[in-house]
Amino acid sequence: MSDLLLQVLSWLSYIERPTVLLQLLIVLAVVAVVAVCRLSRRRRWIQGPLALAMPHLGQLLIGLACLVLAVGGQPFGLALLLALLWLGWSALGLLQRLMLRWLPEREVHRLDTRLIRPLYLLAAALLLISEVDSLSSLAVIPLGQLMGVRLSTEKVFHALLVIYLVLVGCGPPAAGIAWLLQRALGMSDGSRKATELMLRYTVVGLGLVAVAVNLGLNTTALIAVAGGLSVGLGFGIKEVFSNFVSGLWLLFEGSVRPGEVLMIDGDPCEVRRLGLRATLLWRDRDNAELLIPNQTFFTEATTTYTASDRMRRSQVSVGAAYHHDPATVIALLEATALAVPRVLPMPAPKALLQSYGDFAINYTLRFWITNPMDNGGICSEVNQAIWAAFQAHGIVIPFPQQVQYELPWPPQDPHTPPGSGA
Amino acid sequence: MAEPWKRTENGGMMPAMRRPLLTLLATALLLAGCGGRVQVPTPLHLALVTNSDQRLDNDLREDFQNRLKLVERGLLRIHPEATVQVAIYPVDQLLAAIQRRSRAGLEPDLLFVNGDTALTLLRDGLVVPYPASPELLQSFEPSMLERVRDPQGRLAGLPLMVQTQVGCFNRRQVPEPPRNLDDLLRLSASGRPVGLSVEAVELVWSAGSLGAVPALIQTLKGQPLSQANQQALVGWLAWLQQAGGQQRVMFFANQQEAIAAFLAGQVAWIPCSSVNLGMIRRHLGSNLGVAPLPDGPGEQRAAPFNRLRVIALGRHSSGNARRLALAFARFSANPLSQRTMTMGSLTVLPANRFVNLPLQSSQQLQAMHTALDQGRQTNALAALIHGNDGRLPQVQTLFTRLVFGEATPPATAEALVQLLQPKR
Repeated sequence: MSDLLLQVLSWLSYIERPTVLLQLLIVLAVVAVVAVCRLSRRRRWIQGPLALAMPHLGQLLIGLACLVLAVGGQPFGLALLLALLWLGWSALGLLQRLMLRWLPEREVHRLDTRLIRPLYLLAAALLLISEVDSLSSLAVIPLGQLMGVRLSTEKVFHALLVIYLVLVGCGPPAAGIAWLLQRALGMSDGSRKATELMLRYTVVGLGLVAVAVNLGLNTTALIAVAGGLSVGLGFGIKEVFSNFVSGLWLLFEGSVRPGEVLMIDGDPCEVRRLGLRATLLWRDRDNAELLIPNQTFFTEATTTYTASDRMRRSQVSVGAAYHHDPATVIALLEATALAVPRVLPMPAPKALLQSYGDFAINYTLRFWITNPMDNGGICSEVNQAIWAAFQAHGIVIPFPQQVQYELPWPPQDPHTPPGSGA
Repeated sequence: MAEPWKRTENGGMMPAMRRPLLTLLATALLLAGCGGRVQVPTPLHLALVTNSDQRLDNDLREDFQNRLKLVERGLLRIHPEATVQVAIYPVDQLLAAIQRRSRAGLEPDLLFVNGDTALTLLRDGLVVPYPASPELLQSFEPSMLERVRDPQGRLAGLPLMVQTQVGCFNRRQVPEPPRNLDDLLRLSASGRPVGLSVEAVELVWSAGSLGAVPALIQTLKGQPLSQANQQALVGWLAWLQQAGGQQRVMFFANQQEAIAAFLAGQVAWIPCSSVNLGMIRRHLGSNLGVAPLPDGPGEQRAAPFNRLRVIALGRHSSGNARRLALAFARFSANPLSQRTMTMGSLTVLPANRFVNLPLQSSQQLQAMHTALDQGRQTNALAALIHGNDGRLPQVQTLFTRLVFGEATPPATAEALVQLLQPKR
């Protein structure tokens, strides 16, 4: 490790060379000019065609400077490389816009920030390093030992790169295969998402094993470590492991999968993502995202509306005055529910006389809907329709009335009516 | 707007004020450090190149560094500020890498390369001619210096050491090394496999044993071949074909494969470069035997292709680094350093002719010294065709066809002459 650090530190000494310093100064000066120009454009000091050409002004200026250096027989490769890397970085913006034509914005953003730009930065770093050193030589520098295996820079670099690519890059291919399977087998959306997740876990698992084998780690030693870890897991990171295993179990069981609707604290919530540790749910009521540890679903009872189908039977309650015929009210309620567009005609809505209240007869109207997440909105629509129907048919929704009077003191003759003044 | 000296509620200065102050402080400390008595180390960037028969791994890197440390330790006594940082390039990547780095002004201060590579670098303007004083040049044989001079007489690099080509054998299988080519074929006939590579530079030694080196030199100079030389050339190629027909003479596509087969015990004898002896000995231990390459059946001596390693100067070094680079090169070329390097590894011979070596102390050293002597006849050849010449892969193809019996020796000789003759 110290060899590698010394080697890296020694690269700084190249700055001592006047030709290198000159190139770096040119690039720094151009960066400063571009920064000032951007500020001017933001404050609208510069407008018109010059403002449009501003994004590529820096690369152009460095290119011109390289031309001057080349004509003068001076080295220019470093400045040119930096300008090209800068240009490439700008071009990634164009690539992003191009990808937006075929992929959703969220996916493009994820690909851009997690895969394309980090890989570009890595390639740029390797290019810059190859300008000052031999990559083949750096690759063989030993960094240490792991389970008796000598780890070289190359091995560690490859291992980290593969792990990163597997973790970040296996998403789109897994989604693609899951989509193909859905088309071929006619799976539901939830099953597709579960398949995608399982494919990702499988690829990540295989990737980690491949990395260990590529590093030359002894499989017997790995099994021994796994045995030791299992004891450690029992004590130290029990919760983390429990959540991970619960997540896998739920995935196989199919009870909590992306797209499912669960009742959390009385609110319907849609499962967005089943993660390694926790499940992300979305609550429509206030657009909140809930992060709930996987083992909660594993150990506690949960109400779901999407286990076998996505239909939900909902209900609203309403009171009607005593003098209305209950049969008329019930028929009207059922007809009203049928008229609401998002209420299913089959199974048919059903109104029931629930109880005789203090000031009204209480009715309940039960009806079926297709999307459990729409329950709140549909209930509101049904309630509004009931009010309008009652209004149209002269059915009164009574409300409690109270009469307050003053009690004279000291009490008067009980036969004298109150307020007579006598 | 907040006043820069105004303190925030928690007592700290405003961030706007704090950052410039910290920067100022850091700069002041840095300047104080630079201007003070602290001695800033000056890294000397040294690029090394592997041979085509070497695999770049950590063992090779440590080999290089251990050899380098022998010189570095001595240099540090004179220039304590110097530190040497090594970058090793595989031979097939060196030219492209140095071209790219030189275009950026970032090439190494020193390049430790083969003489012919240094000449190519000088021709392409990637290194500067070595400014050797006449006194320093006295230390080397004129024929050695000729190998690193370009047509304008400029010195591409300072000769440092010679890597010789010797015969490696496994003592468990071969009690006595073959002294001549007949012995070699007898060895294979007795059931001990012999390994040869079809790479041109690896087979040239046998041209010496069969007297074909003058023919090759004449061809490379573009001169018509005399009858005797023509016969010698065909005779050499006929021997190669005859060897290829032997059941236990194995021809490999390259030297790395030959070494791998030798280490695996599949062959009992191979020609090998002295720089690989350390690695081979690590695998075979005391079973490794080293001897000079077999001479011819008559008076002809083997003609090993010994590689001359030189130290060349990069173009864009800073003044300080150039001063240290020259000091390093001079120090490496002095007899004491050369002797230390040779005796420290026993895999290279000094280029300085005033170094006395205890030849009787080591059979390996003796064999290398004999190889140096045998190889004098290839100095002229090495000056005419470089190890990285573009024609060599085609020569290898001709040899491959020859040893597998797809071409006759006279036809191969004719093709070889046509290929090697300078184009008019």
